[in-house]
Amino acid sequence: MRQHFVLFLLLFFTVSCTATTPTEDPVVSYALCNPKATTETQQLWSLLCAQYGRNAISGVVANIDWNTREAENVYQWTGHYPALNVFDFMNMHASKDVNPSGWLDYSDMTPVREWYQAGGIVGCMWHWQMVANNGVNRTCSPGTEPGQTSFDASKINDPSSAEYKQMVKDIDQVAGYLKTMQKLGIPVIWRPLHEAAGNMYEFKGGKPWFWWGAQGAEVYKQLWRFMYDRLVNYHKLNNLIWVWTSQVGDTDWYPGADVVDVVGRDNYYALQYPLMKEFNTLRKLYPNKLITLAECGNGDDVDMSLWSDIWAEGSRWSWFMTWYDAAYNRGDSDEHQFAGPEWWKDAFNSGVVLDRDEVRGLLK
Amino acid sequence: MGYRLRFILFCTLYSVLCTLSAQAVERTILVGPKTIGKAWKDNIVLESRHFAEAKAGDIITVYHDRAKGTAQGAFQNPTNWQGVAPEYAYFGIKGPFRMILTDDIVKIAREHGIAIGGHDYRILYVTISDAADYQETIVWKGTPVQMKSDWSVSAEIPAKSFANLREGDAVRFHISKAQAGASIKVMDFTWNVIDRTVDGAPVGGEAFNWYILDNAPLLKIQLAGGGMNTALRVSGTGYRLDKIGIVQFVGEVNEDISQAQRAPKEYLLQPGEIFHGEKAFPNDWSGNLRISAAPFQKCTENDVLLISYKVDPAAKAAGVTPQLSLRNGQTWDEITGAAEPVWYPLDGNDVVYLFDAVALDAVKTRGFILTGVGFTLTRIEILGAN
Repeated sequence: MRQHFVLFLLLFFTVSCTATTPTEDPVVSYALCNPKATTETQQLWSLLCAQYGRNAISGVVANIDWNTREAENVYQWTGHYPALNVFDFMNMHASKDVNPSGWLDYSDMTPVREWYQAGGIVGCMWHWQMVANNGVNRTCSPGTEPGQTSFDASKINDPSSAEYKQMVKDIDQVAGYLKTMQKLGIPVIWRPLHEAAGNMYEFKGGKPWFWWGAQGAEVYKQLWRFMYDRLVNYHKLNNLIWVWTSQVGDTDWYPGADVVDVVGRDNYYALQYPLMKEFNTLRKLYPNKLITLAECGNGDDVDMSLWSDIWAEGSRWSWFMTWYDAAYNRGDSDEHQFAGPEWWKDAFNSGVVLDRDEVRGLLK
Repeated sequence: MGYRLRFILFCTLYSVLCTLSAQAVERTILVGPKTIGKAWKDNIVLESRHFAEAKAGDIITVYHDRAKGTAQGAFQNPTNWQGVAPEYAYFGIKGPFRMILTDDIVKIAREHGIAIGGHDYRILYVTISDAADYQETIVWKGTPVQMKSDWSVSAEIPAKSFANLREGDAVRFHISKAQAGASIKVMDFTWNVIDRTVDGAPVGGEAFNWYILDNAPLLKIQLAGGGMNTALRVSGTGYRLDKIGIVQFVGEVNEDISQAQRAPKEYLLQPGEIFHGEKAFPNDWSGNLRISAAPFQKCTENDVLLISYKVDPAAKAAGVTPQLSLRNGQTWDEITGAAEPVWYPLDGNDVVYLFDAVALDAVKTRGFILTGVGFTLTRIEILGAN
């Protein structure tokens, strides 16, 4: 009888471990690129690494720029806040600290500070806009049309050029905000210069769709490394976890293992099977990096798979970040374009998605 | 001229006017429903016969429901799927939307018909009405205002101009010198956009019509007060505002739908079905149907695709062999990865396609495109191997 009891206990623990341990844990390097990373950044990094393959960290992007509007949506729908809120510096030209007639203020850290103090992870991305060819609008889209910009990123190698000075000025402005976060003890998941290769590798005739990719892979990598050097070495920003966004097939565009901590993928054809293939591809290409679903949501002709299905198919993205719906947030649409209540309820019910409270508990 | 003769002439003229007036009606030319779903995939072509007697100034009105907040409409040339005019390539929709025919559009309509497209709404019915059904009163004609590229200019329109504006009317902005990319933005007296259909809407040609579909904009105009208080601020880029009119419908509605075109019957998809309806694959090879990867996500090898169709009797008469082929949804290559496409001859029996590993990977990754000639597709169903 006692033997049976011991056998039962053994069987019980075996089943318990099997149920919580993934069959194939990804192997990650537990070192950040920046050896001087702050304590808080190291702690966040440790959490990301520890959860990788076991649980996904939930995330949303801000409604356009500097707020937690989308996170509030998720809370209203599910009673849970997502763990990660990603802010976007896209309207930095309209920030009141540099533009008296601006409509937002990136120097006011209130939304970031409140989010962090509530236990949230802070992310920042940057739709880096340049003045369009018409001299009035701002845009990320490269080209010669009036509404596009012919801004030449290759001038990052020409310190005497106006373009170089503009890029340095913009990077320095963003550095100021990131430095304030560092002073507040806030680590930042930092994802600049995303989707550089555009759809070049998706179909014949595809092109980069942001100006920072328009001059090709070599210029892009120079720009990335310039930014890394400027932020980390010049501005002494040690609170950044660097995320490079792959377009899959764009290995020539990878800036290098020494300046990238995480490889991301943005996908709006987010179906479980192709996602699983892309995850496995990226994991093989970048075996010592975390792999993350840096942007996701419904596409034009497909609805994103439920997270429980994505996970069941074998994807083990470190975190996911769903996109905002401006029309929904304005009240012009009853249906969220990218990820609505049902999707989020499934995510939190899947048992493999961490919300803000759970992350706060793990970081303590 | 004697009194009797004058009386006869008067009666004759009156009867002619009455007859003309009786013809000035809104006539239904398409009866739905026709769902215009996501991603610009759906459309319906209004047959050219409806436009045999059409003329510039006539108006097409699309009545619809189930419009999402981000729904857009479009009037397209069926030969190239471009907008029949720049301002009709895409536009936000809320209530019924309209197009005023020009000579160029009439020419397209008579030769090829007009396609109605867009996304995220359902067409209920479509009408055509005579220009005479609409009466315009010019309510503002100040100094023309040129809209600059930086959107910095606006025309301030006093409230008194809209004293007689009613729900169901249209405000017509007469414009000139419209450049490519010209847009209009209409704001209320507080500088907020008064209605999302006029928030940067594309403009071109000689006029832009803003349809007053509910009471909300009227209330905002009333809140400005009356008289010379500014009620509307008309802004935008790349055009000149010359004058503003209010257009009111004064015609009648013809209830006869016997000559109307009927939209193909719509079916609710049953479990396993990925298409059910009628999709023509004409002899000119213009028929393609793209199926996304979504329905295949949980398919396994040896699942079966069952394709049902009706052979087009006219195809054989024209010397065309009815056949279909399944292509990779991304590359247009044969779905099995074979170098040459496989053509399935259509003899009346269903096409049964058994997935192998290569084809399964292809459909689960990018879906497929069904192409072919000489038949009407009626149904596609996935049958599980188990």
